[in-house]
Amino acid sequence: MKLCSPEGRAFPTKTLKVADRPRSLEGLRIGLLDNTKPPVDKIMQHLEQRLRERIPGAQPFYISKKIMNQPAGPEVMEMLRQKADVVINGLAD
Amino acid sequence: MAVTLLQHPLGGTALDSVLAKIDLALDEIVARLTTPLDVAAANSAGDATRSEWIEMDVSDEWGSLQSEFVARGWSDGLLMAPPTAARVAAMVAGCGLPPEQVIGELAPRLGVATVERIATNAVMAGCRPEHMPVLIAAVQIMADPAFFLKNIQATTHPVTPLLIVSGPLAKTLNVNSGSGAFGPGPWSNGALGRAIRLLMLNIGGGRPGEIDKATLGHPGKYTYCIAENEAALPAGWPTLRAERGFAPEVSTVTMFGGEAPHNINDHESTTAGGMLTTITGSIAQIGQNSIECVAEMLLVLSPEHAATIAGDGFTKDDVRRAIYDDARVPMHRFAQKNIERRLWRLLPQRYRDRPLDTMVVMVQRPEDVIVVVAGGEGKHSMYLPGYGATRALTRPVLRPDGSPWN
Repeated sequence: MKLCSPEGRAFPTKTLKVADRPRSLEGLRIGLLDNTKPPVDKIMQHLEQRLRERIPGAQPFYISKKIMNQPAGPEVMEMLRQKADVVINGLAD
Repeated sequence: MAVTLLQHPLGGTALDSVLAKIDLALDEIVARLTTPLDVAAANSAGDATRSEWIEMDVSDEWGSLQSEFVARGWSDGLLMAPPTAARVAAMVAGCGLPPEQVIGELAPRLGVATVERIATNAVMAGCRPEHMPVLIAAVQIMADPAFFLKNIQATTHPVTPLLIVSGPLAKTLNVNSGSGAFGPGPWSNGALGRAIRLLMLNIGGGRPGEIDKATLGHPGKYTYCIAENEAALPAGWPTLRAERGFAPEVSTVTMFGGEAPHNINDHESTTAGGMLTTITGSIAQIGQNSIECVAEMLLVLSPEHAATIAGDGFTKDDVRRAIYDDARVPMHRFAQKNIERRLWRLLPQRYRDRPLDTMVVMVQRPEDVIVVVAGGEGKHSMYLPGYGATRALTRPVLRPDGSPWN
């Protein structure tokens, strides 16, 4: 007998073009986005220091979301769009 | 997006060990930032609104067929009714909408919730066709981005949507609002709440242990549904749906992402002041999310507790205000790391550089407390701490022509 599947599939997705990856981080502006879940602030500060030590001319900078559990707001996203060549973000806790 | 995984846990461990994990991962982080991404191919597999009908051996309905449901990941572990064509069609007819109509997409899978697919899960959960209009409204809520179903489905926190029916439809459908409203009984509560769970599992993709990362979860994740006890509302107190802008003749569904109910026992107080002392004292606990972020809280007042409070002229807003003002814990009761890493960091304006006898609030704003009257005789109320990244939403239950469904 045929039974109806309860599973829902998603609508078809489109392939989005993503920005080309840099070959090196040398001289690049690296956004370090804090998701506000402790201790990511300490992690990002540590990463900032390590990237400066390791990558010649790298310009890592720190920025934080406003509210835990919610997407970064448009101000943060615009700042990253304008000031970062690549972004490192943290997920979960 | 390229991902580098750090070994769990990070929270609750010494900072040195966390930073050591970063140092170990640094090469990989740099490599991932400088390596071309493999972009996932577009998913264009079939029509997402068309139901899939699968040939299955139903001769052993309560044996091998159930094992098949489990193997396919469709099951909550309890026996499920097979969704045959006749049963699904009858369930669809319960809401008067076309089977292929899309009600919403449920996160995180963004599975398409058609009427027929909602009906299929309703059949499996043990619902009756007359339950369908409630489920349609519930799916509309869960598909609303403001409900943040994606977060509810994936978090380690013990949160799940509680479905609250308000209005004449609660009586029509026999949704229990009285004695044992959160408990078992021959009501519609069990099947409705279970259908919500199956919709989250089978359409939203919230499979426990995989997408659903709940550390412990709670029993309400099997089924979680009550009705407002409108008959027991104190005179002058608005119904839940009235507070949310709906007319008395419109039945509504409200969904609140919350923890399991916590008891508030007061057999002695005869005044609003006494009752609120017990309520705010019960709510003042240091392990809830609403301490560190904007999160709602649901207070379910028993009719007798509500009558005592209202008897002294107190309103629902007075209750909210009392919880904000008086349900507080001194900062010195918190563990030092939680003070430093949570209170100071997340709410610096309230707590940074403040003395340790500073009182810590349980909700950030009085309006974050939702007050509902439910339950039967007795001196127990309950409160449900919220999660944070969700807001309770309300939808009317309407017929296809837009008139109230009661």
